[in-house]
Amino acid sequence: MVSRVTRLAERGAGRLPGIVVALTLVFLYTPVLVIGYLSLSPAGQPTIPIDAFSLRWYTAVLTDTRFIRALLTSLGIGVVTATGGTALGLAGAYVIVRSQLPQLARRSIAVIIALPLFVPTVVVAFGIGRASALVGLGYGYLPVILGHLFWVLPFTTFLIAARYAELDDRLSAAARDLGADDRTVFRTITVPLLWPALMASVLFAFALSFNEFLITFFLAGSSVTTVPLEIFGKVRIGATAFLNAASVLVIVVSAVAAGVASTLRRPV
Amino acid sequence: MSVANTPGRLRDWLVAGSPLLLALALGVFPLLTLFVESIGPGLGGENYAEVLSPLYRGALLYSIGVGVGVTAVCLAVAYPITYWIAHRCPDRYRLIALVSVTLPLWLNYVVLNYAWVWILARGGVVNRILVGTGLLDSSLDLLYNNISMGIGFVYIYLPYVVLTMYVSMERLDYQLIEAARDLGASDVRVFLDIVLPRTLPGAAAATLIVYARIAGAFATPEILGSPGNVMIARLVVQAFRQYTNYGFAAALSFVFLLLVLGTLGLGALSPRVRRELRQW
Repeated sequence: MVSRVTRLAERGAGRLPGIVVALTLVFLYTPVLVIGYLSLSPAGQPTIPIDAFSLRWYTAVLTDTRFIRALLTSLGIGVVTATGGTALGLAGAYVIVRSQLPQLARRSIAVIIALPLFVPTVVVAFGIGRASALVGLGYGYLPVILGHLFWVLPFTTFLIAARYAELDDRLSAAARDLGADDRTVFRTITVPLLWPALMASVLFAFALSFNEFLITFFLAGSSVTTVPLEIFGKVRIGATAFLNAASVLVIVVSAVAAGVASTLRRPV
Repeated sequence: MSVANTPGRLRDWLVAGSPLLLALALGVFPLLTLFVESIGPGLGGENYAEVLSPLYRGALLYSIGVGVGVTAVCLAVAYPITYWIAHRCPDRYRLIALVSVTLPLWLNYVVLNYAWVWILARGGVVNRILVGTGLLDSSLDLLYNNISMGIGFVYIYLPYVVLTMYVSMERLDYQLIEAARDLGASDVRVFLDIVLPRTLPGAAAATLIVYARIAGAFATPEILGSPGNVMIARLVVQAFRQYTNYGFAAALSFVFLLLVLGTLGLGALSPRVRRELRQW
């Protein structure tokens, strides 16, 4: 009897991981689907179930100058951060994985780059805000972009470093033996082999920047408004139809970046 | 392997310069600025004395508690998920399973948390279902408490934990598990003796990535939490935006930072974690 109970319990435990995965998928996607569904309601304060289907609020969002300006600001900052953050990440990855610097220097550089991961964002953001005021940089686009670069740097660096570490060093050595200088080796061997990782880094850095809220909140001042700031301001006023449609549009932008990233294939 | 040469080293330092400068200017310099502001004006410890008053002590402990609690829940859920994806999932579905579970990582957390308002509100999905099916007579207050805030946090940070832990879980040799099973080990023993020790580095890395961000979060408690339970980020934001008492906010940030690093260090001190981390 006892052994039968244990056996049943064990069989249950064997199924547990699969059940957790299924429940997690429901947990993760229900809110997104609910927002998508509600965004199609014509009502100003939608109720569940919605009365009719309409794209009225999407039109409202896309003709709202404030929102469009915030969207363009976010896209612009995102593109600058994605390219700049990836270039810096490539430099960081090279230094950590391949450089001739002493082990201790490489480790220390890795820890300093990883700082925004283990220091609470609010502390970093507040510190950057005060430091920026102290050196006379103040608030606005430049501090926000610098803050975003700093925030994406550990992600781009370690993403590229993981791929860099897998590269066969003998390929570069062979190219060098055939007379290529360092720059040629980098341009014709290293970058092409790292290309998928670099593209993934650009896309992920763009998503991180496009969605970043707290650092922007401290550094934007009154002149810069990004989409997350705009949405947070509206959430505080209350859940409205405008916000639902705006949320869906924001989700679509990041999902496109994620979708493109998932199609990237490694060469060889 | 080429011998280290001086021009190579110089060039490597130049390459290191740009990311390092950014990380120092925006990571280390601001922390020093905060520290200097926190002890001023006049080298008094007044700011720190105020931070340690019962009012703020509560907020500090609450933030740390939320950080520890949510991280623990994320890890507990991530274990079966990563185990299933790495060792049970049919090969051709593995990538899509991993992508599906980690996709929300790309999405905006302000938007995602806001979406939960529609799930948990009085006229929201959950209450509609409970009342509609006759399980309840009237709607429940599910929003603006520790539970709704916890759900919001897990929702945002679970994908990060899953992605980080997956690397360790994938490296775990499934033959070890089979061998243990053949020798008669129960699921619990397999988990405690094989899965847990071998995936501890992944769990530690995941904790490192999410714990500080949860404890110092601002948006999630504002959108889904109880207005009465104050986390540190709100105090810092208030001080930054409304008052000019930067010294106090800086001291608060610093004490909070030390607590976060201290609790992370405490975890790393446990001999078992330390032994596993050394393998990295």
